[in-house]
Amino acid sequence: MAAVGRVAGGSLNRSGRRTGLLLALPAILIFALLFVAPLCTLVANSFRTQTGAFTLDNYQRFLGDPFYRDVLWNTLKVAALTTIGCLVVGYPFALYLRGRSPRVRNWLALLLLSPLLISMVIRAYGWLVVLGPQGPVAAVIEWFGLTPPQLLYNDTAVLIGMVHVMLAYMVLPLMGSLDRIDRTLVPAARGLGASGWTCFWRITLPLSAPGMLAGAMIVFSLTASSFVTPAILGGPKVKLMPYFVYTQATVTLDWPYAAAIGFVLVVVTTGLLLAYSRLLRRGGGEVVFG
Amino acid sequence: MSTSVTEAPARSDVRRGRLRLDGVRKVLGGKEVVSSVDLETEPGEFLTLLGPSGCGKTTTLNMVAGHLTADGGVIEVDGRDITAVPPHRRSMGMVFQSYALFPHMTVAENVAFGLRMRKVPAADRRRQVAEMLELVGLDGMADRHPGRLSGGQQQRAALARALVVQPDLLLLDEPFSNLDAQLRVRLREEVAALQRRIGTTTILVTHDQEEALAVSDRIAVMADGVIHQLDRPREIYLRPGTDFVARFIGEVNAIEGTAAGPVADGYACTVAGETVAATPAGDPPAAGEAVRLYVRPEVVRISTDGAQGLRGTVRETRFLGSRIRCVVATPAGEVTAALPFDARVPAVGEEVTCAWRPSDASLAAR
Repeated sequence: MAAVGRVAGGSLNRSGRRTGLLLALPAILIFALLFVAPLCTLVANSFRTQTGAFTLDNYQRFLGDPFYRDVLWNTLKVAALTTIGCLVVGYPFALYLRGRSPRVRNWLALLLLSPLLISMVIRAYGWLVVLGPQGPVAAVIEWFGLTPPQLLYNDTAVLIGMVHVMLAYMVLPLMGSLDRIDRTLVPAARGLGASGWTCFWRITLPLSAPGMLAGAMIVFSLTASSFVTPAILGGPKVKLMPYFVYTQATVTLDWPYAAAIGFVLVVVTTGLLLAYSRLLRRGGGEVVFG
Repeated sequence: MSTSVTEAPARSDVRRGRLRLDGVRKVLGGKEVVSSVDLETEPGEFLTLLGPSGCGKTTTLNMVAGHLTADGGVIEVDGRDITAVPPHRRSMGMVFQSYALFPHMTVAENVAFGLRMRKVPAADRRRQVAEMLELVGLDGMADRHPGRLSGGQQQRAALARALVVQPDLLLLDEPFSNLDAQLRVRLREEVAALQRRIGTTTILVTHDQEEALAVSDRIAVMADGVIHQLDRPREIYLRPGTDFVARFIGEVNAIEGTAAGPVADGYACTVAGETVAATPAGDPPAAGEAVRLYVRPEVVRISTDGAQGLRGTVRETRFLGSRIRCVVATPAGEVTAALPFDARVPAVGEEVTCAWRPSDASLAAR
C-alpha cells in the first residue's frame, strides 16, 4: 500500500511517466479534437460577420438588447432554481440513503437513475401528459373543487421537468460526500451536548459541502445549457439561451450570432461556477477541500 | 498548567462519578450482545472493561454514553437513573477509537465545542480551552486542523475535548489501539497519571490485557456479553476466577485435581497423589469435588531439595532475556515456570519439585 501511494505521489521514473501519458492519451485526444478545437472555432466565428470579416457587432447586439439580456437572466434563474430544487429534494434523500443497507441503496439509486435511462423526448412528453389540462395533477386539484393553474409552458413546468432529470446528478456526489464522513463524528458531538439539529448544522452539513458543491456545479451547468426538456415543457414562452442558439443557427442561419450567444453562455456560466466554488472553498475550511 | 493542577484536587474532592449498572442488556441484530451486566464504580476510579472483540465491552460503553439504548436494566450516575436520557443530556466525556475529531474545525474549536454547547461565555471558553490544551501538552497547536496532527497529538486533542466539559465520567473506547507500540505505552501512562490528578471516574474499553493491568484500579473481564470477573489487576492476574479469565490474560498452568479441604493459607487439593494449595476463586469447593488450579508461570518456584509440591522431570529450559522458561513434565501434565534471570537453571532431565505460594494461585470447580 505504502509503495503504491508513493508511486502515485509523483516519484515516477521516465518509462512510468510515459505509460501514464499513454493511458490518458485517448481522453486527451477526444477532448482536444471534439471539444477544444470546435470551441476555438466557435469563438473565432463569433467575432466574424456573415462574410468573414472581423467584428464586435455580434456581442454588441447581444449585450445592447434588453430582450437578450432578459433571456440570459432567465436562463441563469431557471438553472439556479433547478439547482436549489435538486438540493432541497436531494439532500434529505441522500441522508436517508446513508443509513440504509447496500441492497436498499442499490434499488433506490437505480430508481434515482431511471429518468436518465429514458429518452429525453419521451420523458418530456410524459410530463406533458402528467401536467396537462386532462392530466392527473389537474384532476386531483379539480377534485378538491379548485381551478387548476396553468402547469405547462411556463418556468414551473421547466423547473419540475429539470429537477426530475437532474436529481441524480445532485444525489450521487452528495452520497459520496456523506459516506466519507466518519460515522463517530455525530455521536461525538451528541456526547458533547449537541442536539440532533445542532449536529446536522455544525457537523454533517459543513462536511458534506464538497458533495453539494460538486452536485450544484453539475446541475447548474447542465441545466443552463439544456435544450430538449425546456423546449417541450416550456414552449416558446419560456425564453432560454440554448433555444436562441438553436434558432439563430438553424432558422435564421446567422451562425456568427449563434456562436456569440453560445459563447456568452459559456463565459457567464463558467464565471459564476468559479466564483461560487471560491466562496464555498473559503467558507468550508481548508481540510474539507484540501 | 499550574492553575489546573491546583484546581484538580478540589475537583476530585467532590467525589462524584459513581456509575452503577444493574442487569443491563442489549440485543443487536437478534443477538444478545450484552446479557445482564452489573457493576458499580467508586467515584474517581479507573475501571477497565477488558475482553476479546465481540464480547460486548464497546456496546456496554455505548449504553453508558447513551449512543445505544439499553434493552433492559438500569444505568445510574450518582444515584440518578440515566437509562432513558439522550446522550446530549448526559455528562460524559468520550474518546473514540478513531478520535472522532471534527475535521473542519481547528484543535481549539474542537475542544471548545462542548463548552459552546453548554453556552459558556466566549472569554471563559477561551481560557478553559487554553488551560486544557496546556494540560494535555498541545499548547501551540490550537489553530491547527486535526488532519495536520500526528496520531498521538490527535489522541491528546480528543482527550482535551472530552475533559474540558468536566464530565461525570470519562469514557475511553480503545483510545490507544491506533498508536505505535512505544507511543501507546507512553500515552497510556500519561492518561493514567492525568486521570489520577483530576480524579474523573474513567471507564476504559480495551482488548489489550497488558494495558488493562497497567492503568486500571479494577478490571472487569468480559466474554459473551457477561462480566466473568471484576477485581483489582493483581487478583485478576494471579487468581483468575474462570477458565476464560485464566486463559485470556497471559499464560497459565491449568492443573486438574480434587478438592481436599481448607488449610491455614489456602485450600488444599490432591493433584496426581501430591498435595498442593491455592486460593479458591469464589466459594470454596466441597471436599472431593473436581477442581482446576490456575498457576501463572511467574509464581512457580523450582527446587531440588525434595520440598512439598508437584514432582516432575525438567523437559526443556530456554533463556528468554527477562526470564528463563522452564518446562517440567509432571504426572498432572506439563508445568511451565518463568524463572528470574539469575535463578539456578536446572538441567534437562533433572528431578525437581514445582511449588508456589497458595495466595498466588487460584482454584475453581471444573
